[in-house]
Amino acid sequence: MRFDIQTAKSIVHAGCVLAALSLGSAAALAQGNYRIATEGTYAPWSFKDAQGVLQGWDVDIAHALCEKMKAKCEIVAQDWDGIIPGLMARKYDMIVASMAITEQRRQRVDFSDKYKETVSRFVSKKGVPEDVSPAALKGKSIGVQRGSIQATYLSQNYKDSDVKFYDTPQAAELDLVAGRVEYIVGNMVTYFVGFMKTPEAKNFAFVGPDLKGGLLGDGNGIAVRKGDADMLSRVNAALAAIRADGTYDRITAKYFPFKLM
Amino acid sequence: MDMLHGFGGQLLLGAISTVELAAASLVVGTFFGALGCWMQLSGSRVMRGIGYLYAAVIRGVPDLLVVFAIYFGGSLTLATLTGRYVEINTFIAGVVALALSFGAYAAEIARGALLSVPQSQREAARSLGLTRAQALWTVVLPQAARIALAPFGNQSIVLLKQTSIVSIVGADELMRKAAEASGATREPFTMYLAAACIYLVLTGLATLCLEWSERRASRAFGN
Repeated sequence: MRFDIQTAKSIVHAGCVLAALSLGSAAALAQGNYRIATEGTYAPWSFKDAQGVLQGWDVDIAHALCEKMKAKCEIVAQDWDGIIPGLMARKYDMIVASMAITEQRRQRVDFSDKYKETVSRFVSKKGVPEDVSPAALKGKSIGVQRGSIQATYLSQNYKDSDVKFYDTPQAAELDLVAGRVEYIVGNMVTYFVGFMKTPEAKNFAFVGPDLKGGLLGDGNGIAVRKGDADMLSRVNAALAAIRADGTYDRITAKYFPFKLM
Repeated sequence: MDMLHGFGGQLLLGAISTVELAAASLVVGTFFGALGCWMQLSGSRVMRGIGYLYAAVIRGVPDLLVVFAIYFGGSLTLATLTGRYVEINTFIAGVVALALSFGAYAAEIARGALLSVPQSQREAARSLGLTRAQALWTVVLPQAARIALAPFGNQSIVLLKQTSIVSIVGADELMRKAAEASGATREPFTMYLAAACIYLVLTGLATLCLEWSERRASRAFGN
């Protein structure tokens, strides 16, 4: 990011007066007025319906948190690749987008307490061996979403496999069905409610054990700007409140037949 | 529309946003291009230097980085300069980024076109008593415009498709809408195919406009 900022600085300093034109309203957010980013193409966590209205588990959780914080919130959909830069640029105050807590991300944002467990699983053709260890998948092709925790996990541990990176989970699923990759790896719940329910998935199944911890993340957290301690404590308090009064489980039950934490 | 599970309306909204982004970027980018070209052909060494540096940097850096630089870098820089948070409008940031990119290529096209008009045309115009400005405006520019039209049009169509990168900073253009629709329906093939068809219609219309302009521009040459 530093390069981008320096480029921008030099452009501005070089006298690009037009940058000044892009000055919008100076928004000093009043306390109790928050903007929350979610991803928007990741059903059932966050997605837009045919009317363009944001829906999903993350969106419901975000609304519930706002209610507990007694805050007025605006929830915006933001492309994944720009979601952390947008937080740092103060475009919004927190990210509720099923974001996995990782060391790498911790260097750029502060995370709330865990608000969801993450389990990753491999998916492949029915009947393939249950062993999905790096040794067993040597020379095999594996599809994964670029920038995801599973992508980091594969890059580190499956060096002898042919790892293919995709911009979206759907693109990896399409290539699995088309036979261009033999395995895909991603979030188990996402596969469970999405890909595994499609007719294309009838010849495919989960393979291997639940994968979690380490590079695969310490669950999901709500991201706030680094050093925004006030925001963080409000979010954590609200989180504890919706866990305690059953709101969290009620929201989860709307989407899944199992608990997320 | 049923095939699109009701997402047709959203895709059309995205298409409108794409056209708006492209049209605004075309206008601002043409201005940047004219400015860049004027600097590159200027008598001042400093101006020439800045003009060539602009083209070299923008043409040498991925457009995605330009978008990031304007949007995220821009808001951080403005925050540092003004000491408070400044919200940058997504549409305007997108237009500035796309226009900077378009302008760099347009400057090169314009410079090439101007230089390809023979020097003798200028000399002839001057010997007829036209001022330098009159010679440029009435003799050189019409001939240069005819040469520039085809590559300029080409670049405009590239610009129309390039608008998709602005989705990264939250612009609800066609590709973003298609991504949302495929996320919700789990039918990426249908949704992206629909988006592709809309892009084809848009670029098809742009191509028709260009052909018409080229025919018009070549009237005087009898072909």
